[in-house]
Amino acid sequence: MEIKETAVAGTLESSDIQIMISKAATGIQIDLQSDVEKQFGDQIRNVITTTLNALDVTAAKVKAVDKGALDCVIKARTIAAVQRASQTTDQPAWEVL
Amino acid sequence: MDNQIVDLYLNDPKVKKDWQAFLTSLNITNFAANEVDQIDYTIGIYNGDDLVATGSVAGNVLKYIGVCNKGVTNGSRFNAIVSELVNRQFAQHIYHLFVFTKIKYSESFQHIGFSELAHSDEAAFLETGSPDVNDFLAEIPRVDGQNDKQVAGIVMNANPFTRGHRYLVEQAASQNDLVYVFVVNTDASLFTTAERFQLVQAGTADLDNVIVVDGGDYMVSYATFPAYFLASPDQAVTYQTTLDARIFRNVIAPALNIKTRYVGSEPLSRTTNIYNEVLNRELPPAVQVKVIDRTQTLTSDQQVITATQVRQFIKNGELSSLSDFVPETTAQFIQHHLTPLQTRIQEGMNIDGN
Amino acid sequence: MAENEERLRRTMMFVPGNNPAMVKDAGIYGADSIMFDLEDSVSMSEKDAARVLVYEALQTQDYGNAELVVRVNGQDTPYYANDVKAMVKAGIDVIRLPKAETPEMVHQLEDDILAAEKEFGREVGSTHLMAAIESAKGVLNAPQIAAASDRMIGIALSAEDYTTDMKTHRYPDGAELVFARNMVLHAARAAGVAAFDTVFTNMDDTEGFYRETEYIHQLGFDGKSLVNPRQIAMVNKVYEPTEKEVLNAKNVINAIEEARLKGSGVISMNGQMVDRPVVLRAQRVMRLAKASNLVDEEGNYIEK
Repeated sequence: MEIKETAVAGTLESSDIQIMISKAATGIQIDLQSDVEKQFGDQIRNVITTTLNALDVTAAKVKAVDKGALDCVIKARTIAAVQRASQTTDQPAWEVL
Repeated sequence: MDNQIVDLYLNDPKVKKDWQAFLTSLNITNFAANEVDQIDYTIGIYNGDDLVATGSVAGNVLKYIGVCNKGVTNGSRFNAIVSELVNRQFAQHIYHLFVFTKIKYSESFQHIGFSELAHSDEAAFLETGSPDVNDFLAEIPRVDGQNDKQVAGIVMNANPFTRGHRYLVEQAASQNDLVYVFVVNTDASLFTTAERFQLVQAGTADLDNVIVVDGGDYMVSYATFPAYFLASPDQAVTYQTTLDARIFRNVIAPALNIKTRYVGSEPLSRTTNIYNEVLNRELPPAVQVKVIDRTQTLTSDQQVITATQVRQFIKNGELSSLSDFVPETTAQFIQHHLTPLQTRIQEGMNIDGN
Repeated sequence: MAENEERLRRTMMFVPGNNPAMVKDAGIYGADSIMFDLEDSVSMSEKDAARVLVYEALQTQDYGNAELVVRVNGQDTPYYANDVKAMVKAGIDVIRLPKAETPEMVHQLEDDILAAEKEFGREVGSTHLMAAIESAKGVLNAPQIAAASDRMIGIALSAEDYTTDMKTHRYPDGAELVFARNMVLHAARAAGVAAFDTVFTNMDDTEGFYRETEYIHQLGFDGKSLVNPRQIAMVNKVYEPTEKEVLNAKNVINAIEEARLKGSGVISMNGQMVDRPVVLRAQRVMRLAKASNLVDEEGNYIEK
């Protein structure tokens, strides 16, 4: 999926993660802020990257603010942000859900 | 339900009264028209009949954030309010947001993804979203070997670009390898940001070592800083100029290797003088401040050149002595656009400020 | 009526679908049914995100034995079609249709569920549905709505919209809901599906909550929709059978067992024939007693 505009999904409330996705020329770049960065930073980045790969996003700038989200929440917010950024919200990516 | 967020319609006198009373209880007491009128919308959280949290947005600035944490997990209402404001702005494609707040709340904002650009003893200035200050800096043109060169910076509103401005840029250009001229990006002036930028570029086109840069959101004109959470206007001016100076010192200057900032002496404007004083206090030793004497650029009949005077000429349609005050490029622009400029003044654009 | 064994549905807890903290914790309160909401608790700009969030949570979170329900957006919204598809794909137990007014609306949902089951390779018929009655028209059509589908597990009264439609609002004594409650309940019973009462939103009025719950329990509702987990224990307490009811039910169960051992087709107790409604009631009381921890695994009453 092609990132056409900046978009965000998720909130800054407890157990959530706010994911902002913007265009990038090449590659995936993740800027993560989390209270549990030390223990879970790699895992959070991994969930985001895996989800982006599954959505066939090859170039994106991601800014994530984690408030203790479970993996399923991270995945859900990443999907929602990508669909918004690619203007495909009304055509869910069934194969990735 | 807990944390149910509702719209607050401040047009409704009762809603506004409750809102003011709640904020006042949190020591936010400045409801001056120039602060409140800019608000685009306001949201809140009620617990029963009591307002327990609120926040507002004006353009890309979050304002009047107030939260009572009694009986709930610390921060949950704050996060809910700020989240909602941020998400609503993003949904409107405003992806870059700022907040000016009391220093004690800076950490709460940083905790939810804001980055602090600068702080003073009483206030902090933070941003979130994209493009951020790093993107802004990355976009500014550089020259080869910039880190070994002598680089200077000038910030100007240039409303419009005058011979006084030109003299300031010339002085800096003759004394440095490279000069960045940052044009303040605020459309609260007679000349729009695009026009001012264009006039500065045209008026310095012959100077090879000058790069004109749109000041973006980081060369904030002190007129636009919200100060609703501070008690006195004096305090406000000091905090605004201090934050502005510190962003320049801590963020802008190091990224571009700017070691000197040029400012014009200001015989006629008190606020600009205060600003220059603050720069003198804040910038050194990291950045030297060089004041260029404005009296070096008197007109032929010994008048001080000011943009304020130029705007008066426009208002009155007296273009005869224009060339004494502005370079040819600016004079031509004014001659070609006299009617629209005069219309803006007639429609209420204030031309007496800086 | 859905071909599922009758189960306890005392409590159906509403969970706002875009709130990860509440979606994550929904399983820990012991609600009989959990209803993830994609409709009224989710703002328009977050409909897409809530749908994905509930979907992903359903894939990974353990909600124990609770019956999982999703309230999708109404059929007149642009979100409805994708809500239904996503929830069928997620393997939800029950899809709740809001603002049901006619049996045709239920048939439409049935068709959409069937199409989604085929598209995503789910067992045809595995997705159940329920309907929320929220208007005068819905109340008057409740019998047809309740009987409109083999997938139907129950109908629920939703009083906020209903009282608005009736040009009134909710009062503490509930007089404005008497007709609707009885209509919904009768429609459900006639169709052999469950009946759910509406929510009670004033969390500070514990006494009022008990009064209302005792009232709908007395009428015969299966249970109540809830907005706060704190209300679960309160409802369960009202639905707790008395010691006498449990002992009586135990006798019926013993009589059934004895008849089975004797190979007799007729169940009798105290010289009377035990007919089917009595058996069903006894089984229901024993389920309630077990859920309330009043009896042990063998059904023996636990003295307190």
